[in-house]
Amino acid sequence: MRLHEYEALDIFEQNRIPVPRRGVAADVYEAIQIAGEIGYPVMLKAQVLVGGRGLAGGIKAAATQDELKEAAETLLASEIKGLPVRKILVCEKVEIARELYVGFTIDGYSGHPVILACTEGGVRIEETVKNEPEKVAALHFDPSFGYYPYQARGLLKLLGLKQPLISAWSDVIGRLYHVASSYEALIAEINPLVVLTNGTLLAVDAVLEVDDSALSRIRHPLPDRIDRIENVLERRGREIGVTYVDLDGDVGIIASGAGLGMVSMDIIGNNKMKPANFLETGGGITADLLYKCMDLIMMKPDLKAIFINVYGGINPIHEGAKGVVRYIKEHNVKLPIVAKALGNRQEETWEILQSGGVHVVTDTATEKAVEKLCELVGRKAG
Amino acid sequence: MSILMDDTTRVIVQGITGRIGSIQTKWMLEYGTKVVGGITPGKGGSIVEGVPVFDSVADAVKETGANSSVFFVPAGFVLDAFLETVDAGIRFIVVVPEHIPVADVMKMRSYAAEKGVFALGPTTPGILAPGIGKMGIMPASLFAPGRVGIISRSGTLSYEFAGLLSQIGIGQSTVVGMGADPVILRNLPDILERFEKDEGTDAVIIVGEVGGEQEEKAAGFIARQMTKPVACYIAGRYSPPGKRMGHAGAIVRGTSGTVEGKESALRAAGVTVLDSPKEVTAWAKHHKLS
Repeated sequence: MRLHEYEALDIFEQNRIPVPRRGVAADVYEAIQIAGEIGYPVMLKAQVLVGGRGLAGGIKAAATQDELKEAAETLLASEIKGLPVRKILVCEKVEIARELYVGFTIDGYSGHPVILACTEGGVRIEETVKNEPEKVAALHFDPSFGYYPYQARGLLKLLGLKQPLISAWSDVIGRLYHVASSYEALIAEINPLVVLTNGTLLAVDAVLEVDDSALSRIRHPLPDRIDRIENVLERRGREIGVTYVDLDGDVGIIASGAGLGMVSMDIIGNNKMKPANFLETGGGITADLLYKCMDLIMMKPDLKAIFINVYGGINPIHEGAKGVVRYIKEHNVKLPIVAKALGNRQEETWEILQSGGVHVVTDTATEKAVEKLCELVGRKAG
Repeated sequence: MSILMDDTTRVIVQGITGRIGSIQTKWMLEYGTKVVGGITPGKGGSIVEGVPVFDSVADAVKETGANSSVFFVPAGFVLDAFLETVDAGIRFIVVVPEHIPVADVMKMRSYAAEKGVFALGPTTPGILAPGIGKMGIMPASLFAPGRVGIISRSGTLSYEFAGLLSQIGIGQSTVVGMGADPVILRNLPDILERFEKDEGTDAVIIVGEVGGEQEEKAAGFIARQMTKPVACYIAGRYSPPGKRMGHAGAIVRGTSGTVEGKESALRAAGVTVLDSPKEVTAWAKHHKLS
């Protein structure tokens, strides 16, 4: 789960990372009030859970109340990469001498927590990492021992930095590591970490993404994970316990695993049709769950067909089939439905599905099932 | 032959008294796996599917000579059970559950590496060696004995690829679920290395997906060390960036973890890149696999 910048800044502040004076506003009047308290000029930053916000026009400066009013109105009426801007962060505009970068992440391949420090911050950090690696230093931690301050001091020396910046920055790194470990972060990032003209450091941005698998044991208050999903169908998916990703096509997909769901999308796409969604159940299939999955994918308007692709390994697919057929009968579904269902108790599953008018494909290849789908919607395969 | 499992493999099932643990034990036994014991702390002395249950892994190892373990333990208890299992001297561990915190997985991985234990998962269907046995949840009907190795990030796609080959009479030496989390207990090259050395394997299929860099790193290993033919399929070409596609590790971040990036790295290493899963049958016939 990714937190909003204003939420992450609060957490950083509680952990003694220096952050700007600020407030979060849901309308223009709140924004004016906050700016009045902290004093002009101010920065306005759209609070949306997506990267690349600065380049997408989500950050504006305001030197006067009139400018602030105009900028706040524009931002609050806008969408950034498809997400509505519901709140804006109003924060003090500071005098910047230099921009740095520091970020915590997990190196999946080495299996270590890593801190990356870069002597150049700002929006183009990914390019700097690629093109000017001499400006970047990485610190890998032993996951059992964690962080010790000497490591950061050594890292910053490698970048050619001098005191007192080394001490100030390594303090920030230690605190960021503390935030990352106590919140079980997958990403904790300050970009940029700025050096003010008076020489002190300030985190003017904050990114914090928490490990969903650890949410139940994190001992700090966190916002509700489901509430913040903007897309109503994706939120419904989370509520019933499946992964649903909303797409812009017209073939509804139910798969019993992530890989099979992606392959179903791949092959449907290769045949010039467009998936309406990605849906994978994971290992928890019951009749009730697949009934709810049918209900969920049918919420999408203009659906042309439904494609079901499941394996009975950990899942009782014969139970799932009962849920599908109950939905079809209760809602008198007329859409063409193609199903491939293999594994434990497959014959029983096929019989149940066929009793609901589902077109069952018994071949192993998902391609064969998609051919059937093409035929039913009147499209030539390939 | 096979990798990671053989005639000497003696398996314990951790979490054997749970709903999934008990049914999967039955299926593992039906497939011929030597399941010699089960663990559920507090339920030692009971019997599940004819298999004795022990309170601790150390007890089970002492009484049964177990050397391998498969986990059906709730996510929050996996780290504790894993450390116990390594300490009890088990050499091969399959961690089936999903939703284990990444911080725990990193500790498990580093402890296993230190103690020389080979572990698969988390979020894996497990491993299946036709004619020998299976540890995990793979549905046996889709597999057949033969000489092709399969490594898959996804459970369902390991079934799909094995099934595609079995359907045309081409069997598998071993099918391995490497795990679908952002951090897994053994990286892809370590599994490839086993297949490269295995006399019972003639060729290997990698079934990858978007996210992470396992496939990219494997390309380097293949270019340097693999002599056997390798084919790959990377799932998720229509996955929108920034969206997690079910698996915790299946997410394209910026320009990293894309299908194109993985395919081009593997292609440059001499791997046959399949555009659609079914092409695996033509590839297998071309290499005269059995």
